[in-house]
Amino acid sequence: MRPLAQMLLACVVALITGCEHSPGDPPGPIPRPAEVTDFSTLYSENCAACHGANGENGPAIDLANPEYQALVDDATLRKWISGGMPGTEMPAFAQSAGGMLTERQVNALIAGMRQQWWRPNAFAGATPPPYAQPQDGNAHDGEQTYQARCFACHARSRQQITSPDYLALVGNQALRSIIIAGRPDIGQPDWSHLGPGGKTATPLSAQDIDTIVAYLASLRNSAQAANNSPERPAAATPTGR
Amino acid sequence: MQRMKQTALDIYAWFERRLQLEGPVKEAVLHQVPRQTASWWYVFGSAAFTLLFLQIFTGILLALVYVPSAGHAWQSLNVLNHQIPLGWFLRALHGWGSNFMVAIVLIHMAQVFLFGAYKFPRELTWILGVFLLLMTLGMAFTGQVLRFDQDAYWGLGIGASIMSRVPWIGSGLVHLLLGGPIIAGATLSRFFALHVFVIPGTLLLFVFLHVWMVLKLGVNDWPMPGRVVRRATYMEEYHHLAHTDGIPFVPGAFWKDLVFSGAILAAVAVCAMVFGPFGPGGQPDPSIIQTVPKPDFFFLWIYTILSYLPPQMETPFLLIVPLLAIAILLALPLVAAEGEKSWYRRPVAVLVVSTVAVCFGVLTHLGTTTPWSPHMSAWSGDPLPVNRIHDATPLARQGAVVFQAKQCRNCHSVGGSGGERGPALDAVATRLTIDQMRFKVVTGGGNMPAYGKNLSPSEIEALVRFLETLHPANEPPAYDASRRTVEASQAADSAGEASSLRANEGSTP
Repeated sequence: MRPLAQMLLACVVALITGCEHSPGDPPGPIPRPAEVTDFSTLYSENCAACHGANGENGPAIDLANPEYQALVDDATLRKWISGGMPGTEMPAFAQSAGGMLTERQVNALIAGMRQQWWRPNAFAGATPPPYAQPQDGNAHDGEQTYQARCFACHARSRQQITSPDYLALVGNQALRSIIIAGRPDIGQPDWSHLGPGGKTATPLSAQDIDTIVAYLASLRNSAQAANNSPERPAAATPTGR
Repeated sequence: MQRMKQTALDIYAWFERRLQLEGPVKEAVLHQVPRQTASWWYVFGSAAFTLLFLQIFTGILLALVYVPSAGHAWQSLNVLNHQIPLGWFLRALHGWGSNFMVAIVLIHMAQVFLFGAYKFPRELTWILGVFLLLMTLGMAFTGQVLRFDQDAYWGLGIGASIMSRVPWIGSGLVHLLLGGPIIAGATLSRFFALHVFVIPGTLLLFVFLHVWMVLKLGVNDWPMPGRVVRRATYMEEYHHLAHTDGIPFVPGAFWKDLVFSGAILAAVAVCAMVFGPFGPGGQPDPSIIQTVPKPDFFFLWIYTILSYLPPQMETPFLLIVPLLAIAILLALPLVAAEGEKSWYRRPVAVLVVSTVAVCFGVLTHLGTTTPWSPHMSAWSGDPLPVNRIHDATPLARQGAVVFQAKQCRNCHSVGGSGGERGPALDAVATRLTIDQMRFKVVTGGGNMPAYGKNLSPSEIEALVRFLETLHPANEPPAYDASRRTVEASQAADSAGEASSLRANEGSTP
């Protein structure tokens, strides 16, 4: 009987002392949604669906790309997150623009991204072209540059980017960001590693990028102009059943 | 030592002379019960009794800290969870005790029904038992309200909305339930009084009468096919059985009750320790719209039924079915007081219990997964399977962005996550051709809204190009055979046209 009693006593003691570390011990109180400032919670609830679970492998641009993080400053990131990005599907997330996030939460997202994905010397000593896309790129020059520098890969049917439908959903600034920073998660090289295997060492110049984006924009604009002309039926009409 | 023993006996005798409990207690403890009732099937009633006392004990301890005010209840629950040593364990014991109690009471009821124990002379025991079940559910609901979080708040809203549908006196009932026109401080005080005084008081009285009758009328004899209950002869037959083939209630039958009650208490403690307390969830504030309120598990089946009922059926269902069900339960022992007790001779009874159990299980399961409800955060929170992104063309990848940004995901799951309101789209391309998908997106149909006016032509095109990629690797997408024929004949007619048709090559495998 005595060993049994001792065992019981040991169980009770273990129960009482171990309870504070048991799996049932609940985590802290649930904060109001507007008070959540934990980056991983905010990111996984608001960004992961388009930008990927860990900032990569999503359909939209990979935020985990250190080059992208180095290219975009805080104010610009804040502008896109808060108010959405024109010409793309990126919606406005700030309460001031009809979204659900407070200013503090937007700042927490930016700080978290910087902490997780920003790396010093992301461009390995090279100076990247400026981030902002100018309005006055020469589309004609851009076409030639595109043929010379991009076409080799983008001629393949699986990498077509000259479709007006694609261009209608990716704004000029978004095109420029991808050209400069690339998308390492899906194999798109950055501006300085173009060519088969990403090995050619002649980087695109800032002017090259200005004109390529202008050329792609001109394709989009001419398609939209044709769409809006009264002769053409609305493209939303189903073409078959 | 001898002297101490004598003193104790003297004290006992002093009390006994005045209380005179020894006789009745001995009679209750040692009365003869039929030998076969000492069964593991007869332990659920006593387990429910034990759980009731666990609930009272833990409830009193909780009441020492809990503040029944709308402004402070949530905070006081968090104090219990996080600041008082083992406060969370106390809440967990009370919460799991409640779940176990509802489950055990239901099992007890099913067992009593299947064993025909509600028949003469135990009709009133059953009727009181029906009220005890209702009060147990009442305790569960009021307890859920006292856990004053978002679930409680919206649960109250739904309770009030149900009340308001009662003809003529609906608004008066809502006022009575909420203590005013809105959910406020008075509401919580009202539910605190119900949960702590009114229902437990009545419950204890009914339990006393229920147990009293069990002791007075004897434990139900084991049902044997052919041993038919008749009012005229039953009592005599029962006493004969109990005295010719009987054992004293204690310890003959009682030890199994003790062991099972102990096991149930241990199970409650283990659940409490491993799974922890229930909630509190988010703050009970109606301005917080990021919430998916749900009732506790024993009410999930009602939640499911109400979700699936067509709107015009809701009010009749809510107001008639519960009353009808209670009336049937109460009338049962009066209508079927005599006859066979054995389940071998009562196929309808067995069928009823099995059907109710299966329905309860299925409805509860549906209530936990809520396939009828869109997942409102899927569009921004549920990533797409990586291979869908890697293998896609730029246009299809952009279509995936449209798919997320336009919230298609809230109703359609891909890769196992997303809403279940519409069909899962993992293999949609094998079911619909690209033209059919385009048509469906633009015009809607079935339960799906038409998106033709909400999406630009480019968005629709990108979207269907993405949907076109959603098929298993070893199964080609569906294609329109006639379109192939047309294309082939056009190609034959004109080589020049053929090149323009190549733009549509994605629609054929």
